[in-house]
Amino acid sequence: MDKFKEIIRQYPFLGFIIAFIILMLVPSVFFTDLYQSHLASLICINIIVAAGLNIVKGFCGQVTVGHVGIYAVGSYTAGCMFLYLGSGLWLTLPAAILIAGLFGMAFAIPSFRLEGPYLALATLGGGEAIRLFIENGDFFMSTYGISNIPQPIIFGVPFDTPDKYYYIAMPIMLIAIYFSFSVLRSSVGRAFMAVREDPISAAASGINVKKHKMLAFVLSAMFAGGAGAVYAHLPPGYIHPNNYTVIEMVTFLAMVVFGGLGHIWGGIIGAIIITIVYDLTRPLYEYQLFIFGLTIVFTILFMPKGIGGFIDKYFIDRRFKTKTGASSK
Amino acid sequence: MLLKTNKLMKAFGGLKAINKVDFELPANEIRGIIGPNGSGKSTFFNLVSGVYEPDPGSYIEFDGKDITNEPPHKVGELGLARTFQLLRLYQDMSVINNVMSGYHTLVPYSFIDAVTGRKKIWDQEKNIKEEMMELLSFVGLADYAELNASELSGGQRRLLVLARAIAGKPKLLMLDEPAAGLSPVNVDNLMKILMRLKEKYGLTLIIIEHILKVVMDTCSKVTVLDHGEKIAEGTPTQIKDDNAVIEAYLGKKMDDEEMRKALAV
Repeated sequence: MDKFKEIIRQYPFLGFIIAFIILMLVPSVFFTDLYQSHLASLICINIIVAAGLNIVKGFCGQVTVGHVGIYAVGSYTAGCMFLYLGSGLWLTLPAAILIAGLFGMAFAIPSFRLEGPYLALATLGGGEAIRLFIENGDFFMSTYGISNIPQPIIFGVPFDTPDKYYYIAMPIMLIAIYFSFSVLRSSVGRAFMAVREDPISAAASGINVKKHKMLAFVLSAMFAGGAGAVYAHLPPGYIHPNNYTVIEMVTFLAMVVFGGLGHIWGGIIGAIIITIVYDLTRPLYEYQLFIFGLTIVFTILFMPKGIGGFIDKYFIDRRFKTKTGASSK
Repeated sequence: MLLKTNKLMKAFGGLKAINKVDFELPANEIRGIIGPNGSGKSTFFNLVSGVYEPDPGSYIEFDGKDITNEPPHKVGELGLARTFQLLRLYQDMSVINNVMSGYHTLVPYSFIDAVTGRKKIWDQEKNIKEEMMELLSFVGLADYAELNASELSGGQRRLLVLARAIAGKPKLLMLDEPAAGLSPVNVDNLMKILMRLKEKYGLTLIIIEHILKVVMDTCSKVTVLDHGEKIAEGTPTQIKDDNAVIEAYLGKKMDDEEMRKALAV
């Protein structure tokens, strides 16, 4: 087992190939209807957003509530490119990532001066402004939404049903996770954490605080933008401004907080659990927000580092005990 | 001269926290800075390390380069490390990550390498980690490497701050009250470690400290600040006998008659 771990650590790519093969087989083994495939694609999309949000919120410590706006930018880039240029996913995805990155840059600017709740307010304003701009713009089909956004066709095979679209969303998700792991496990991830913990002493260690805040915002915006594009093309290919409200933002935040802020797996665990719970509680529609609000509050109270941090702590304590021979701690 | 300041000035409103201080420090020296609270010692550190911007007319030179208006991370990159009076540890990061983030400026791979996650990075990361573990065992914290910094005791935190500052292999290390709040035994231990580190890495040190024993034993020269001005500079023995210093900081030695009077009131 240890040897296996060491190999994975040496060649992280190998782990992703194994994960890819397993995830390829999942639908044929477990899924019984189309709805489950739809849900699986949704989980993939949410994982991309949550992994990105974890970079800026969990690792870099910048409270952003405007991320859903950037997600909307990604979706509408895809939607408009289809509407006016007739482009498919393989063109709209990179474009969405690029444009979302530019928006991320804009969102990073307030973070140079603002902190905590003030930054949250500023980004909240930014996110809502984007949504309202879309809702009131004829160019974006305002409140009609954009419909019939096509699914990609590979070698003549259209991926136009939920069970097939999963095979588009899942590899994109794996690539996103790969990038997020690479960044967060490198010196850049450490610098993000240092900026989160103490910007002044980070600067004294030679870490350019503004540059890293900017990097974190741009990176996570790219994730959100990419996820937005994948979401836009998700069958039936319909996007509407109402899909990008603060409520969605709270759900994304709940994923990151519940999974573990600043934990490398945090966003991923959270996205899986919260998406499934969100779906199971659909009959209790009027209480859903209440439940997620409570989840955030209780997680912060009793498990401040989320599920990921909780599990980590257990293993670290155990290793520490065996190393130092301490009987209790 | 490794560090040189010329007419260094900083005023907060009407208060002149640092007033025309000329300071010169050759390489390989251990310099102590003493002075009463509010005399401008920490402000001096903050000005040199770029946390505060000095007032116009000031000049700071480090290692032959003008760093007067450089931002803190540029100063850090040039090889000037410092610790803080309030430690400013990365509380919610593991001990090893604390130290490794101190190594930031020396990391050999680029951002693009990091994003694409090439294999060579993991080899380099492994080397960095090994090197930092060595540093940790040098200060005696190797067993705690994976614990959170917030779980360490006060004395261990002081050692960790020291290790983090040294991780970037600085030329000049400025310590702001490294021994504050330590018991006498721990102070001795800290000083021993400090001296060994100085030898190993060829450091130049500036130490702010209120524990005079530390200053007198380790520093080859001492600068005394009071109300933002340099009032004396010299070897520890010279400083001990300097009237201005006694007046401002060390306190007068009373003879029996004076003592009786003071106690009677």
